[in-house]
Amino acid sequence: MSFGPLLMDPAFRQGAREGLRTVLPFSVGTLPWAIVTGLAMRSTGLSELESMGMSVLVFAATAQLGALPLIASGAPLWLIFLTGLVLNLRFLIFSASIAPAFHDRPWAQRLASSYLLTDSAFTLLSPRLLTTPDPQWRWGYYLAPVLYGWLLWQAGVLIGVFGAEILPRNWSLEFMATIALMVMLVPMARTRPMLLAALAGGLTAVLLRDLPLRLGLFAGIAAGIATGFAAEHWQTRGEPQ
Amino acid sequence: MIEGFWLWLAFGLLSATTFLTRGSFIMAGEKGRLPPALQRALRYAPAAALAALVAPDLLLVQGQLQPFNPKLLAGLAVIAVALRTRKPWLPFALGMAVLIGLRQGLGMGG
Repeated sequence: MSFGPLLMDPAFRQGAREGLRTVLPFSVGTLPWAIVTGLAMRSTGLSELESMGMSVLVFAATAQLGALPLIASGAPLWLIFLTGLVLNLRFLIFSASIAPAFHDRPWAQRLASSYLLTDSAFTLLSPRLLTTPDPQWRWGYYLAPVLYGWLLWQAGVLIGVFGAEILPRNWSLEFMATIALMVMLVPMARTRPMLLAALAGGLTAVLLRDLPLRLGLFAGIAAGIATGFAAEHWQTRGEPQ
Repeated sequence: MIEGFWLWLAFGLLSATTFLTRGSFIMAGEKGRLPPALQRALRYAPAAALAALVAPDLLLVQGQLQPFNPKLLAGLAVIAVALRTRKPWLPFALGMAVLIGLRQGLGMGG
């Protein structure tokens, strides 16, 4: 893949600019969360190189944090694999939802797009990705912010990994990731079906919190989708089409 | 503790779960196209996922439901501000101020 002609393409550049503008305000939450993940890997006993290797290869905070106790206790590899799979289960839904935006991309670009897909990339970028026809604009709108997000994430992990000895630990900084998620959610929940989808998703995740391997999170997403869809159906049935 | 070769193999397996899940439908291309009704329903996935990630963090303290805890109060402050302003830094500043204020100032746990 050559970037030269791509960067000269006005539609690609316009998409890239707008994509970056979309994610920029939310990226303040990335750094603290990445630092905490870096700290966690070092506290488990991984070396600096191992921590960075894990972060680049896996690039999934939930799966990494979930696997660390298993690595520490010497659990069998199949259990680690299974845990990672379940902790990543929500990405099946994200992948299905966002896939039409990549149907026209070559294989290697689809592979890179898959690796770089995160919770915030999906939630922030998928609405316009799925409704904009220009393929070059879409590619810029996706690629620029996810590459930026990847770099920011790895930079944060690097700070956590190498600052493990000197960083303060009781500043509650990991809460900034939760704030970022809330700030994304608020403008989304403006229509009634969206709000109901969010309420059902949150409530189900809380009620099913005792399921192993955070399966309650997956159940919450599924319940939220079903509720939103049902609410939309119910709402439009009363109105003339 | 898993070490050396086996540790890197574990990373490789975890990496595979990243590619398998995120790539599932993206790599399938046209073959993986879902029925339009299902595709429409998936528009609710972002809101549902965000809420499912946030709610347990706000309502649970060490796995127990605890309606009055610093994180929930900070979260309510964040939502109130985010509804009224588009300034992205304000919810972060206010949310962190409320959380740290309640935890360190008033000594509230959780």
